[in-house]
Amino acid sequence: MEKIEVRSRIKKVISKVLSVDEQAIAENANFVFDLGADSQQSLELVAAFQEEFNITMDEDKAFSAQTVSQAVDVISGYLN
Amino acid sequence: MKYRNITRKEVLALEKQGCTAESWETVYVRDPFVLDRVRHVRFSGVNSIGVLNQDVQITPGRSEPSGLYCSSFHNCSIGDHVRITHLLDCSCYTIGSHTVIHNVGTLAVQEESTFGNGTGLDVLNEAGGRVLKMYDRLTAQIAYLLVVYRHRPGLIAKLDEMIGRYTEGKRSRIGTIGPFNRITDTSQIINVNTGPFTEISGALHLENGTIAGCEEDPVLIGPGVEAKNFIILSGTRVEGSVMLQSCFLGQGIRMGKQYSAENSAFFANCEGFHGEAVSLFAGPYTVTHHKSTLLIAGLLSFYNAGSGTNQSNHMYKLGPVHQGILERGSKTGSFSYLLWPCRIGAFSVVIGKHYTNFDASEFPFSYISEEDGKSYLTPAMNLFTVGTRRDSRKWPDRDRRKGPEKLDLIHFPLFNPYVADKMVHAAETLRKLSEQADKARDFIVYKGIRIKRLLLKTCSQYYEMAIKIYLGEGLISSLFRFVGSSLSVFLPAGEPESGPVAWCDAAGLLVRSDEIERLVHAVENDEIKDLEGVEKKLGELYSAYEKEEQAWCFSLLGKRLGKEVRQITREDLKQIVRDWKENAVKLNNMILKDALKEFDESTKIGFGADGDVTVRDADFLAVRGTFDKDKFVMGLRQECQEFERKAAEALEKIEQIKDPPLHCHHSREYAVQPG
Repeated sequence: MEKIEVRSRIKKVISKVLSVDEQAIAENANFVFDLGADSQQSLELVAAFQEEFNITMDEDKAFSAQTVSQAVDVISGYLN
Repeated sequence: MKYRNITRKEVLALEKQGCTAESWETVYVRDPFVLDRVRHVRFSGVNSIGVLNQDVQITPGRSEPSGLYCSSFHNCSIGDHVRITHLLDCSCYTIGSHTVIHNVGTLAVQEESTFGNGTGLDVLNEAGGRVLKMYDRLTAQIAYLLVVYRHRPGLIAKLDEMIGRYTEGKRSRIGTIGPFNRITDTSQIINVNTGPFTEISGALHLENGTIAGCEEDPVLIGPGVEAKNFIILSGTRVEGSVMLQSCFLGQGIRMGKQYSAENSAFFANCEGFHGEAVSLFAGPYTVTHHKSTLLIAGLLSFYNAGSGTNQSNHMYKLGPVHQGILERGSKTGSFSYLLWPCRIGAFSVVIGKHYTNFDASEFPFSYISEEDGKSYLTPAMNLFTVGTRRDSRKWPDRDRRKGPEKLDLIHFPLFNPYVADKMVHAAETLRKLSEQADKARDFIVYKGIRIKRLLLKTCSQYYEMAIKIYLGEGLISSLFRFVGSSLSVFLPAGEPESGPVAWCDAAGLLVRSDEIERLVHAVENDEIKDLEGVEKKLGELYSAYEKEEQAWCFSLLGKRLGKEVRQITREDLKQIVRDWKENAVKLNNMILKDALKEFDESTKIGFGADGDVTVRDADFLAVRGTFDKDKFVMGLRQECQEFERKAAEALEKIEQIKDPPLHCHHSREYAVQPG
């Protein structure tokens, strides 16, 4: 899957879980500082990414992604 | 201990020193009797006075002559080398040697008393039905049986009978002030016994109670304390105008800052400040430090109450009949509220206000939060928060009990069969719920609480991770104690027929449920006839924890491998070690990431109040230090390195075990080094 598609779907997931406008999600937005994710929402995001891309992410790796672009990289790694 | 009557000459001298007696015939003394040390004293009834020829330490470095001064005694027996001054009314007491009493209004036994023993406390259910009869050797575990096992009336009747007999042994018209007591500036002490080395300083009113301290672990009752119907055990300090009405305080407790409690029992190492407790079963390590915190009708242990924590046991229908359970290691956040009945799983965190009744006990290590007035459960989330790990480490270090006998039996492991069993079932439940859940739904409702659908599968994986760590830890600790050479001897029998048995957490004691059932049965059938017998059996169960836990652990291993325990192979064991290492490192990394949040930009808000960003960062650095130098962080990193070493060692040990024909020998007696 192309990164551009991964990015687009990731933004959709973030928008739904964190209730933020998809257009307002910047590439390097930090989940906590910029998008306001709390600990529970971070868990939800991981779960939502797993469901969206039908992957099982390593817990450690999943939580190491702090920004949207890092999430794109981690998830792309699973898909390719 | 030979006493004699006072001679006529001595009477005249005493009278000259301002002393009077209803009858000097019934005042007895022991030689050498130092006349000079009894001044302005009134005697009535029968009194005896010990030897008063030594000085008594008042404060470190300051001693005063022993003696009786400006006091009044009625039917008292006074020990050697005491110093009693300005004790206005002392009736019916035996006062131990080397005790100092100064400026006390009343110290009296006013009628036959059991000194708090046998007093019933309406614990857990304020409306009654679980009356806990306290006595001065009550343990958390016996209390647990008395309060929780009401479905076994035979057991309750027998235990009550035993406590009744014990209480009768305490019944007396004469009270005891133990040796080396220091009682000063106190208004009233009525029907109270004290053990050795007790200090009562500035208390207002103490009535119908026992203070059972000891030399190694004395009790302090401090200023402003009022207590009626109470028992306080060794090492406990109650000060700061605490108010107690019908309360049991076990060993090593700290209570102060106007805390008030009624009909409540607190066990080892509890702490209560500022707040209020009603009908509380505060198991070991229950801590409440803040104002406006009401803990009511709850069964707790290893619990920490945030400020403003509140619970309701009253729905204005049939009275305050509701009750709740917060299992071991739970926390409630600031201004959290729970509407009883409700049950929270072990090591969980409650945030927000919860107005529905739910049972989340199947899901340990959870977050319970509130969104738009609805309660949500995030299972397993507390597994990888830094607080849980810190808590589990601090409890053993904070055991304050110094006396020769620790009454409450407390197991500390964070992962144990009780919690692991819950995690096994929780993982399975979440997996099933995930499969069944309608993907169009955002959440499902399980036992009264919402769980976000997306989290069902993920949280099940987190439990799986923790189970692998638990099993690996169990295996590795067995390996390191194993001294034999064959796999069949190494593997315990476990429970091949029935699988892993259920465990329970009896107020700190982790024990197989069937063993508790055996104990209950033994009491019901008079096989155990007295409290010593119950204590002894509970002590045996406590000591058997390690062995039983290993058996349980292997039994679970077998179940998960789909094998009987004796069929587990060397390769199986190696895989468990490898899984353990991988997951233990992973969990520690997740905890480190949680700890890292304590050093991110947002946590610097409030630092460098009068400066710019540079000042803020410098201020933060000065006060908080760096993530890398944080003691806890360094500890976790060190632990990760140890995981590597331990895993390598464990794999080597497995390699060294000779492979016998596994099916030919199977014994429950597996070889372990003692201790």
